[in-house]
This record gives sequence, structure tokens and C-alpha cells, in this order.
Amino acid sequence: MLHAKIINIKEKRISLSEAEKFISSSDYGASIYFTGTVRNQNNNKSVIGITYDSHDALVIKSFEEIYKETEKKLNILNKAVFIEHAKGYLNLGEISIIIAVACKHRDEAYILSRYIIEEIKKRSPIWKKEHYVDNQSDWLKGNPIVNEKN
Amino acid sequence: MKIKVELFGASREFSKNNLIEFEIKNNSTIKNIRDEMINYLDLKFDGNKDFKKIVETSVFCTENNNIVSDNYKITKNQKIAIIPPIGGG
Repeated sequence: MLHAKIINIKEKRISLSEAEKFISSSDYGASIYFTGTVRNQNNNKSVIGITYDSHDALVIKSFEEIYKETEKKLNILNKAVFIEHAKGYLNLGEISIIIAVACKHRDEAYILSRYIIEEIKKRSPIWKKEHYVDNQSDWLKGNPIVNEKN
Repeated sequence: MKIKVELFGASREFSKNNLIEFEIKNNSTIKNIRDEMINYLDLKFDGNKDFKKIVETSVFCTENNNIVSDNYKITKNQKIAIIPPIGGG
């Protein structure tokens, strides 16, 4: 069971309570909530906020692919996964991503949560523009996406 | 053929319209689009090396949301997205 969405923060904020509602079930004994938030320092620069950009359709496609492959690669069959990523300008401390997972047991919940965030970092077309105290801003360099389908 | 390249991430700095249009020959490839973009940056931004590096390290995505290689042939007018190096989360 997967919920995958890009949240335009001009319209709404990412909320943990929605994640909790989605993954809540007596089928599962272990739940993990991972959130990424905007940090005030990066590369020795004082950050005041981040603008997130995304290719929405490709991002959702990547979330779905990552979710599907956890069955074969991790052998985690019964699970609930809630993924939301923000798009737009976020202030310090605001949530940019939630990955909430629920599984039968804690071992698989930890593995699943970690796997999903690491794969999103490698594969989901999302970009960050950092804004600094001196009114400057910079797109972060990032990592080239892997072209698997020629 | 007319190709619109939709800009994302750092490549949004290439145009205020978030889009660049190119006229290309029939049966052109993604490699030709990449070359056109480099030419555009030479003309508009005096060959800005950082911008050119973005194009060189990007992949491209079709209207059907498939990431395609440099030898992918473009057979009709369409919108292509440039996908610069990524880093969300």
C-alpha cells in the first residue's frame, strides 16, 4: 500500500498526522517516521531557506518504482508506505520530506525506511536552491541521475 | 521540427520562461539537442562554463516520462525535459 505525492507548499504543508492515518493498521507492529527538514548550515554557509524544484511526474514514477522493487530486493511483502516531498520555498526547520513506513516487525521497517530515502536521493528528480543570510542563493550541485533505460 | 526544452533545477537559470525552443532537423537525436543547448549558452551567456557543465551532466526525459539516451531519435514536435544532477530529500 503506497501513498506518493508532491506537495506544493503554496497550497498546503506536509503533515505527520496524515502519514500516521495512512500507515496505521493492526496488521503492523512496527512503524518508522523519517522526516527531512531544512537545516541552517551547509558547506559553511548560513542557510535561511530552501526552494525545492521537482519534475513531478518522474518523481512519482520513481517513488512507485522504489516501492515496487522492495518486494523483490528486500523481500518485504506486507507494508504501508507514505511518501510526500515538498515543492516550493521552505523556511528553516520545515519538513521537506516524510517517509512513513509500517511493517510487521522492526527489522524490516528500519531496512525499508533507509532503503527508500537512499534510493530517492539517487533517483528522484528533485533539486534544491539554498538561500543564504547575505541574500545570495545557489542551486546545489547534486549527482547525475543514472540513465538505466536507453 | 520544433522542440521545447523544459528547464528544471539549476537549468532554470538559462531562461526566465523555464523553457527554450529549438528548431531541429528531422531525425535529430538527444545529442543534437544537447549540442543546441551548448550553442545557446555560448551565445546567451558567453559560454558560461558552469552552465555548460550542467548540460553536459544532465539527462533528458521525453513527454512520456522516460529518461532517454543521447542516441534517442526525436520523431515529432515535442517537449523534452532536461534533468540536471539531482539532490532532494
